[in-house]
Amino acid sequence: MPAETPFALVARSGSALRLAAADPRAQALGLAEGMTLADARARCPELATLPDDPARTAAALEQVLARLGRFTPVVAGDPPDGALLDVTGCAHLFGGEAALLGVIQAELAEAGHALRAAVAANPAAARALARHGGSDVRALPVAALELPADTLVALRRAGLVTLGDLAARPSPTLAARFGEALVLRLRQLLGEVASPLTPRGHVAPLRAEERFPEPVARTEDVLDVAEDLLRRLGREMEERRLGGRRFVVTLCRADGARRRLAVETGRTTRDPAPVMRLLRERIEGLADPIDPGFGFDSVAMAITRSEPLAARQIGLEKGEEAVEDSVAALVDRLAVRLGPEAVYRLVPANRHLPEVAQAALPLSEGLPRKAASFATRLGETPPRPLCLFDPPQPIEVIAGVPDGPPLRFRWRGHLFAVRLAEGPERIAAEWWRHEGAHSGYAQGGALTRDYYRVEDSEGRRWWVFRHGLHAEKPHPSWYLHGQFP
Amino acid sequence: MPGPSALEENPRLSPLSRETAGIPGLDRGRLHEVHAAPEDRAAALAFALVSACAGEGALFLVRPRGRGGGHARLHGEGLARLGLDPMRLTLVEARDEPALLRAALDAARCPALAGVVIESAGRLAAYDLTASRRLALAAERSGSRVVMVRIAAEPRPSAAFSRWTIASAPSSPLPGAAPGRPMLLARLDRRRGWAGGQTRWHLEWNSSHGLFRALPEAPAEAEAAPAAPLPGAVVPLAGLRGRAA
Repeated sequence: MPAETPFALVARSGSALRLAAADPRAQALGLAEGMTLADARARCPELATLPDDPARTAAALEQVLARLGRFTPVVAGDPPDGALLDVTGCAHLFGGEAALLGVIQAELAEAGHALRAAVAANPAAARALARHGGSDVRALPVAALELPADTLVALRRAGLVTLGDLAARPSPTLAARFGEALVLRLRQLLGEVASPLTPRGHVAPLRAEERFPEPVARTEDVLDVAEDLLRRLGREMEERRLGGRRFVVTLCRADGARRRLAVETGRTTRDPAPVMRLLRERIEGLADPIDPGFGFDSVAMAITRSEPLAARQIGLEKGEEAVEDSVAALVDRLAVRLGPEAVYRLVPANRHLPEVAQAALPLSEGLPRKAASFATRLGETPPRPLCLFDPPQPIEVIAGVPDGPPLRFRWRGHLFAVRLAEGPERIAAEWWRHEGAHSGYAQGGALTRDYYRVEDSEGRRWWVFRHGLHAEKPHPSWYLHGQFP
Repeated sequence: MPGPSALEENPRLSPLSRETAGIPGLDRGRLHEVHAAPEDRAAALAFALVSACAGEGALFLVRPRGRGGGHARLHGEGLARLGLDPMRLTLVEARDEPALLRAALDAARCPALAGVVIESAGRLAAYDLTASRRLALAAERSGSRVVMVRIAAEPRPSAAFSRWTIASAPSSPLPGAAPGRPMLLARLDRRRGWAGGQTRWHLEWNSSHGLFRALPEAPAEAEAAPAAPLPGAVVPLAGLRGRAA
């Protein structure tokens, strides 16, 4: 997209598409928030648009707020697109308020954000100055009060244009005519009433550490301390209604070397026992064992991924929960020992060729809430084999007629005589995935496969295919792709 | 007669048809062995998986990690056709033989599983009396079926409760000379306390009932017999030895 193209975000409201936000170039062309997309396009045909995504906007704002945390500890969000900073006592560190504003402008411009900023004696005034421009609160238009449209119209009809006009009138009269809200807003803007900020909270990381007075040389002892740390963190997580998914232990050796070990659990947990089991499993399977050297002088446990976990009812009878737990524990243990991708389930994939029509889904990643089922395909396709060779095995075939099923085939030196055959099931290459492939094999596409289900004289059922039609290739080769029970 | 009485005790003993009396199923809480030739791998896996999945709970299949070169994967649609929901089946791939047996032992100890199927090919030197005894004890304690599928391996003394040899059998053709429903020839080589006379059954997959049903008499016996070089044996032993070496 060329940089000069006006750009806007579009959201659906009712049955119409309306602009949710417009960039400065678009605003210069007279486009504004709330205008229908049709009107905007009529004014500016080259307008580039993207659908508005409130979740992403909120995430971007959160990032900006985190960034602004380095200027002052009190940062509050003003959704959807604003931030309020209390710089009391902070500005002098950056050389005064104006200089601070410059630094913030530069910082956010670097991150690709356009910014309007203002400094004022109270948050409401600063917000109004930034959003409506100017440097004097009393010169701001009445729109800065952000009252309902009919109140603003009434104010304008009464000849009240700026906040200064309003401030000159006695407030009981204004309240009687336009409502309490107007007076409150006005007094907040003028700094007569406080407009408190709700600063963004900092989430304390789940982390615990233990330092030893003397280095500890036995790894077992250090792990006992790690278990203790886990128990401590478990109590903290219980208060915060959290559970851990990823646990990182850092062992600090007396000579400064650090060793980090991370384990992940399939289920959210606060219980130290399964985590310690996984950790021991992990240590046992390490390629280079832990060397205590002259001993460890501290151990730290951090929970780097946590999820909400409500307090658990302790059941009187061992029900389904225990069963589910034991399978999850087994999966975790096997995944730690053999690698996360070695414990998986088969799920259908939305692809055409049989070898890619399924995917291996590692269980440690958790199962999708709504997995598609193979069962729905059963009625649609001819039988599929139980075992699938990867890659397909080349075989030598003698066929009766060029386009017919094989009469006998040779695989790994054995000759198989075909007794029964069914087919062909023609499976075309996925021509939509490669450019030019839809024009056929001669133009660089992939070969078509003709699959046959055959049974040999000893009763084994095989899935063989001819790779290529005779029209595509003069001597197509044959492959063994699978076996039926 | 442990076979029929065990069947009456537990109606979900095995998906082998209960209509034909006298077939011992694969009991819960026991270790079973299933032998097969490499060409009959699919038949042996189908028998083991379908037998082990009866009842509630998840099913684990522990197998060696594929190293390319004709490694056979399982296909979800093929599983679904055998009445086995692929979401119930967890596959575990072990990198070597000790890891395979260790993972299998861990799975066998888990009380929440319906069954554990272990797929192995070749001699599997680590699977000795001690290892099989461990698996058998784990199965007894957890109450799940543990089925050891041994492809291209010679039978070896073990603590298994029963030992089967499975081979594909010619199916009854569908119209148009098409291969019919899955059909296996199951031979019971050994079973503790088995006094039933018959040891060979032709099992045909019955998709409407979701089970293997034993045919009253072997219809393809006349055709199958000349193919086997040794009388009575389903798998040519010479071929087995040659490939296992």
